[in-house]
Amino acid sequence: MIEELRQKARELLEKGEVDLVIGYGEGSDPTRTMPVFIRRPEDCDRLVWNKYCYNNLTSYLTWPELKTAGKPAVVCKGCDAKAVVVLCKESQINREDVVVIGMSCEGVGEPLLGKCEFCDVRTPKNCDIVIGPEIEPLSKEKQYEDVEQLEGKDAADRWEFWRDQFSRCIKCYACRQACPLCYCTQCIVERNQPQWVPTSSHPKGNFAWNIMRAMHLAGRCIGCGECERVCPSNIPLMLANKKLAQVVKEQFGYESGYDIDEPLPMASFMPEDSDELFK
Amino acid sequence: MRLEEVIDEAPGIRTLKLAFQDEAAGENFSFKAGQFGLYSVFGEGECTFCIASPPTRKGYIECSFQEVGRVTNALRQLEVGDTLGFRGPYGNWFPLDEMKGKNIIFVGMGIGLAPVRCVIWNCLDLRADFSDITIIVGSRNVDLLPYKPELKQWEEMSDVNLVKTVDPGGETPDWDGKVGFVPTVVEQLAPSPDNAVVIICGPPIGIKFTLVSLEKLGFSPDQVYTTLENKMKCGLGKCGRCNVGNVYVCKDGPVFTAAQIRALPQEF
Amino acid sequence: MAEFKLNRDKLGELVKALKGEGYRVVAPVEQERTFVFEEVDDPGEIRLDVLRTKRSIKGWFFPRVEPTLSYEFDGQSVTCKSDLPESPPKTVIIGCRPCDAASLPMLDKLFDWDYRDEYWFKRREATTVISVACDAPDSYCFCTSVGGAPDGTAGADLVMKKTSSGDYLLEPATEKGTAIVEAAKSALDPATGNEEILVGEVPQRFDLGAVKPWLDDNFDHEYWKEISYKCLSCGVCAFVCPTCHCFDIQDESTLERGVRLKSWDSCCLPIFTRHGSGHNPRSTRDTRYRQRVMHKFTYYVDKFGVTACVGCGRCSAACPIDMNICTVVAGAAKLAETST
Repeated sequence: MIEELRQKARELLEKGEVDLVIGYGEGSDPTRTMPVFIRRPEDCDRLVWNKYCYNNLTSYLTWPELKTAGKPAVVCKGCDAKAVVVLCKESQINREDVVVIGMSCEGVGEPLLGKCEFCDVRTPKNCDIVIGPEIEPLSKEKQYEDVEQLEGKDAADRWEFWRDQFSRCIKCYACRQACPLCYCTQCIVERNQPQWVPTSSHPKGNFAWNIMRAMHLAGRCIGCGECERVCPSNIPLMLANKKLAQVVKEQFGYESGYDIDEPLPMASFMPEDSDELFK
Repeated sequence: MRLEEVIDEAPGIRTLKLAFQDEAAGENFSFKAGQFGLYSVFGEGECTFCIASPPTRKGYIECSFQEVGRVTNALRQLEVGDTLGFRGPYGNWFPLDEMKGKNIIFVGMGIGLAPVRCVIWNCLDLRADFSDITIIVGSRNVDLLPYKPELKQWEEMSDVNLVKTVDPGGETPDWDGKVGFVPTVVEQLAPSPDNAVVIICGPPIGIKFTLVSLEKLGFSPDQVYTTLENKMKCGLGKCGRCNVGNVYVCKDGPVFTAAQIRALPQEF
Repeated sequence: MAEFKLNRDKLGELVKALKGEGYRVVAPVEQERTFVFEEVDDPGEIRLDVLRTKRSIKGWFFPRVEPTLSYEFDGQSVTCKSDLPESPPKTVIIGCRPCDAASLPMLDKLFDWDYRDEYWFKRREATTVISVACDAPDSYCFCTSVGGAPDGTAGADLVMKKTSSGDYLLEPATEKGTAIVEAAKSALDPATGNEEILVGEVPQRFDLGAVKPWLDDNFDHEYWKEISYKCLSCGVCAFVCPTCHCFDIQDESTLERGVRLKSWDSCCLPIFTRHGSGHNPRSTRDTRYRQRVMHKFTYYVDKFGVTACVGCGRCSAACPIDMNICTVVAGAAKLAETST
């Protein structure tokens, strides 16, 4: 697959179909890869593909510096490609302004990351090019098991759980920066008139930040799990994001990142929408 | 500090006159022209401004600011009698002792006139120590000129040459000053670099172009002093925010010569 | 020379002895699948074998959030009181690495520059640092390239060196270290002098002497744009780093009272240098990343005579996009070589 990827990238650059290929390159040790930005066809040999290709490279699509770099091609796993769908729906990029190279993937990480156990996009969807064989999707039946386990506890226990988890937050904002959908030019924490979210990493500030970010991602989060992976305190951020995704699925029958034409649940109102949430 | 007086200089620009609540502290307080302090609105935060009143006048300090953000807007809400915090003086100062006997040319653009005003009054209060004094004041338009009553006072002084200018398009029908950008006016005025020192402050781009004009007139970058208003938070050289190159603006500055500024990475 | 050693099974006794003398004991423990320095009750949790904790020991001297002063409103007047901790608890940090310990004297220089930061120094005075020399460094380590060593003593009061039997020899480096050995005598055994000390090797990865001149002359080099293209501006590097010390000051208040807080900040975060007017001298990732490297490897050197990096590799290991500061600096050293 690596050779096919490199060849495809070379062709895209040679033909001038893209100006930049955003892919994975060799990392500083054998268990890591790093994002690479390739402009010349001869540099395409730097591209790699393995089970350490963790990053969601679509985060770079909304960086202002990249907008002047020309048309990009971005190497995506199935989960990453979902972000492109949401970015297009939210008018952050035009679909025709990016070439999505999907890589069929049996999961990343050693041991496999949690999200990979329920992956139904092992053959990526919504891509311009797909490299690799068709891989059967896995069942998503049990994907909310961890959410349900926590849900089974009473409110006081759940409060204690989250209080404990968020107490370790150091407000480094790695979760926000790694997330492809956190692209606000001025994040709410950066607004200080008024200071909606305290910036300091004390319990109140941490709770406000993490809950607010999860809420801002409700109905949008594509479950790439980068936030959780990059968190230096190993806070189970995906648990909160998945809970909200579950609510959106139940209330609006919507799952983020699949259908580019489906209206955004938080940005549209259908008469048949349940008003359970507003009770 | 207790807020004694509020003076609206221009749209968006305000001066606050502050008195020390602890009189003994007030008596012992001294500073040198060019130093800054951190003014707090308790509950909102702190802000860094130069001390705009001259060190030759005791018992109070003044600060002038433009309302741009959280703390400056909170400062705007304060009323006479309210309590503010102040800590300082911090930073270095204009080396007035080395400027004795020289011709001083002050250039202040917009709110940048605030730190310069401190030095102007310092020099005027010790008038005999200095030779010719020229003050060039510029702003975008007539309304935005700060310290209007003081401009009048300086105009009326026989031993001070005041030149005021507004940007083209900023004049009013009864405007009696010049019309033109400050760098252009400086070139027209053509002050001599002999035995002279320039003290300048304003927006970075204003300073940049005025320096070009001064160099054309033969001034060397060592003769030109300015004050850098970088973002500062602690004022003590600890928080790292004002670090540019190998200087900390709050400790090694904010007063620098143009030569020193040129040697820094242009990141301010 | 080590007079005493700690038998590998007597760590619990050591902790008990120290606690008995009134010390709070802080050591590396596992927390949610990562390792951090926390106060320890059960010595069984202590992990002296962990090469690199996620975060450094700096949080014990420079907490990530700390009140500096608090105030109360009463009409137009305000009363303030200082929140400077009077006497921080007597503490022993055991199990940090020589690189962690070396960060302390390095930061002392900044915190003592003209204005003495009592928040820092009170905690420094109250804390004894016991480091453990590294017998198995990894590929992220580069202490030897920045003037350190896997068995370095800078900043440490006592250095523990692992022996082939699994015991640790104790070498005091300061009076505080000697005092700790005294305090913990009941848990220690005399050293025989025949123990085989295990100290790993950290190959030199770049020539620090070549780096600074290159950095001083190449502020505008294309290199900065190239290497920082993938940076996410997330701030993790500064927060896990033992030598990064930038902080923010924020007021938080109600109508009745408030507090002024000092909390960790990073020059890599997008609005670090943004002025109230909106002007931001470092609005792009390459300017911010360059500032990080420059500050550590040249500006700090100019100001305080020492490089602000101890070669621990935490930033590289924690970085979401594998930005390896050692590789970056080695790249600069290489450019320095090829340009001469």
